[in-house]
Amino acid sequence: MRYVLRKIGLLLLTLWAAVTLNFFLPRMMPGSPTDAAIAKLAQNGPVSPATRAAIEAQLGVPTGNIWDQYVTYLGNVLTLDFGVSYTFFPQSVSDLVLTALPWTLVMVGVVTIVAFVLGTLLGVLAAWKRGTFLDSLPTLTGTFTSAFPYFWTALLLLFFLGYVLQWFPTSGAYSARATPNLSAAFIADAAYHAVLPAVTILITSLGGWILGMRNTMINTLGDDYVTFAEANGLKPRAVALKYAARNAILPNLTGFGLALGGVVGGSLLVERVFNYPGVGYLLYNAVTNQDFPLMQALFLMITVSVLVANFIVDVLYGYLDPRTRR
Amino acid sequence: MTLLDVQDLSIVYEPHGAEPVTAVRGATFRLEQGEFVGLVGESGSGKSTLGFALTGLARAPARISSGRIAFDGTDIAHLDGEDLRRQRRGGFAMVLQSGMNALNPVRTIGNHFADIFAAHEHVPRGRRRDRAVELVEKVKLPASVLDRYPGELSGGMRQRVAIALAMSLDPRLLVFDEPTTALDVLVQRAVMETIIELQREENFTAILVSHDLGVVLESTARVLVMHEGVIVEDGPAARILQDPQDDYTKMLLSHYADPRAEVVELPGLRVAGSQISTTGEGPAGPGTDAAPSGGAKARTGRTREAVVLEGVGKVYPPPRRGEDPVVAVDDVSFTIEPGDALALVGASGSGKSTIAKLITGVERPTAGTVRLGETDVGSLRRAGLRRLRRDVQMVFQDPYSALNPLHSVEYTLMRPVVNFGGLRGLEARRRVLDLLDIVGLTPVEQFAAKLPHQLSGGQRQRVVIARALACDPQVIIADEPVSMLDVSLRAGVLALIEGLREQWGVSLLFITHDLLSARLVTDKILVLNRGRVVERGETAQVLRFPEDAYTVELLDAVPQPGRAAD
Repeated sequence: MRYVLRKIGLLLLTLWAAVTLNFFLPRMMPGSPTDAAIAKLAQNGPVSPATRAAIEAQLGVPTGNIWDQYVTYLGNVLTLDFGVSYTFFPQSVSDLVLTALPWTLVMVGVVTIVAFVLGTLLGVLAAWKRGTFLDSLPTLTGTFTSAFPYFWTALLLLFFLGYVLQWFPTSGAYSARATPNLSAAFIADAAYHAVLPAVTILITSLGGWILGMRNTMINTLGDDYVTFAEANGLKPRAVALKYAARNAILPNLTGFGLALGGVVGGSLLVERVFNYPGVGYLLYNAVTNQDFPLMQALFLMITVSVLVANFIVDVLYGYLDPRTRR
Repeated sequence: MTLLDVQDLSIVYEPHGAEPVTAVRGATFRLEQGEFVGLVGESGSGKSTLGFALTGLARAPARISSGRIAFDGTDIAHLDGEDLRRQRRGGFAMVLQSGMNALNPVRTIGNHFADIFAAHEHVPRGRRRDRAVELVEKVKLPASVLDRYPGELSGGMRQRVAIALAMSLDPRLLVFDEPTTALDVLVQRAVMETIIELQREENFTAILVSHDLGVVLESTARVLVMHEGVIVEDGPAARILQDPQDDYTKMLLSHYADPRAEVVELPGLRVAGSQISTTGEGPAGPGTDAAPSGGAKARTGRTREAVVLEGVGKVYPPPRRGEDPVVAVDDVSFTIEPGDALALVGASGSGKSTIAKLITGVERPTAGTVRLGETDVGSLRRAGLRRLRRDVQMVFQDPYSALNPLHSVEYTLMRPVVNFGGLRGLEARRRVLDLLDIVGLTPVEQFAAKLPHQLSGGQRQRVVIARALACDPQVIIADEPVSMLDVSLRAGVLALIEGLREQWGVSLLFITHDLLSARLVTDKILVLNRGRVVERGETAQVLRFPEDAYTVELLDAVPQPGRAAD
């Protein structure tokens, strides 16, 4: 319990540091959003002071000294008030993010977890049956598919399964006629739309988990406690799972933590290719339209999700490995 | 009643893409129910391979190529899968060499027992916890260890747990593969005593696989000696001690001696009273293990200085918050005069290696001063430390990890010659070949070109010693220089160290837990216990007439083949 409390303390501290950096870094950059907008307008002729005042009024100029601003900012972050988006004016940034988030969390999150679980199981099997067909097939396929670039796999699937065979929809998260709700029909429709992006992520990430697990488990299979368990006549299943695999999974958990943290920010390309209305797609729009409030909120969210994922893995690690608990 | 009948058993190693090697050749012997037998041999003799095969653990690339192992009438040499697994309860069990690593780090000790009971279902569910308590108490551990994880136990406790786990199978044959090798000296003895006691009480048949003829003769009634895959001798322990038949057994026996005796003699080395001499008659083995040659060349006129420690202490900060600081060394004072040899003995954790770190400037003392002549070692900075490293050199315990596997012997020796000796080109090379000659690695040209993996353990240690000599140091610190070597190679390396000290006038700090080797190469001794000096004096005097209880305990821990006969 003390271990978890310590980890929570550490999490809060890093969260605060991340929020603070997110506040100060943009302010340390030269220029301001107003200057940037005026510079653009100045290409078409002189800009009157009235225009400048209008832009400042629209974007909002901070009042008070930097500490007051910082305190206000902290308050805004706590109440999830990130201002108004430039691109999707007058929608608020938090509304935009909250609409996009479930799509990404569910689709990418579920696929990441499935890939980890499936890859790890296949890796265990490959290591346990080392040198047989059950080893070479997943290992070779995994090596092959994990070398595919993300977007290229996405384009291939889109072209063949979506365009040529027309088995799956080519874009969006649900049919144009449907309105988002929690009915079975809508969920089935959303799942149908999620198949192609999900399979893309699965194909490109599965191989890494298979190879990682197989290689660490081949090492633990050579460890003395495995030989000793065998000498004590434990059933092969118990030796493989409770002894060899149980220890081999520990280093892979760290990788899983990173992958989970990357769920929010790392799906940009896939969501772009499939026009999937998730966080990645939103980030893409924010960056191309120089939508500063939206970008800032998204960057903060990506940081927070990495921190939270790492916290979860840390706690899990403490539970799974008694050596880290002290 | 015959429990185990091994007939003409041969085991080959068939590594991928390399020539097959026969590890065990035509082993034939019988074990009666309740016998306690020792299986002795040096590294590479095939003893562990045989031990693994007897417990049905021979795995690729090892393969039983011929012969049979009849356990209670059934041939287990070619049994596998579920049949073999069932045989493991009430059949044969094994305690591995590195008992420290034989336990699953993420399962509690109690769960280890639970796993075994679940696998064989030989203990009814309701009795399992009680049975586990019974078993750990048999190996003299409290019942509370069942709720602990392996990482929370000491090495000795883990080895005891491993023994209890093997016992939980109610084995009729129990193979102990070097059960105490990885443990501290004093713990070794305690664990060995438990094993002997258990065997007597439970009356299972036991095989003790060991590299140490001393340990085996002390504990078992019958001994098999293995050499290059062949059992060369098989007889009662007392007979082997009094009247060994095979030359190899004779050679092994000649490398044991009692450090308490007035005259202590190993092949190539002899100490009477406090007079040490190399006998010139080289120890067994090909030319490379011969005593040093190369003629006494006087050292170039650098002044010699004494190593002086005055009231030295080293306290490390607490390992975890809320714990006490660790006192590694406490108020230690001694002086090594130029050309003297001082032994620093004690069990692990006694602070011997910390003292070595203080003298080499790797650590700084938290109290007192360490001086080399007029130089205060504790206050040295970069340039000063560089000079110190020229004057003080180390010989490490493990010759296998002390040499970079990618560099040839010549490259390894060239570095100090160039960096500290300031020699270049042909001169430097001549110095390297000289060094090889001094440590007895001839023909020198051939050895210079070799890589570490092409050398035996003893040869590697000679290279390490040559490297230490390369910059013409004043002091050599040897940290357990022979404890990783086979017994028969130890005398040669010790004779080399002793000879170098005589010829070159180097001072020697000899760190060891092995009192026999301390007796052989040092004239003064310091016994350390928990960082404090508990006894000091002339080596011969202290070892022959020890006063401190701890010194006596250390002396008792030295394996004595003769003790069994007493």
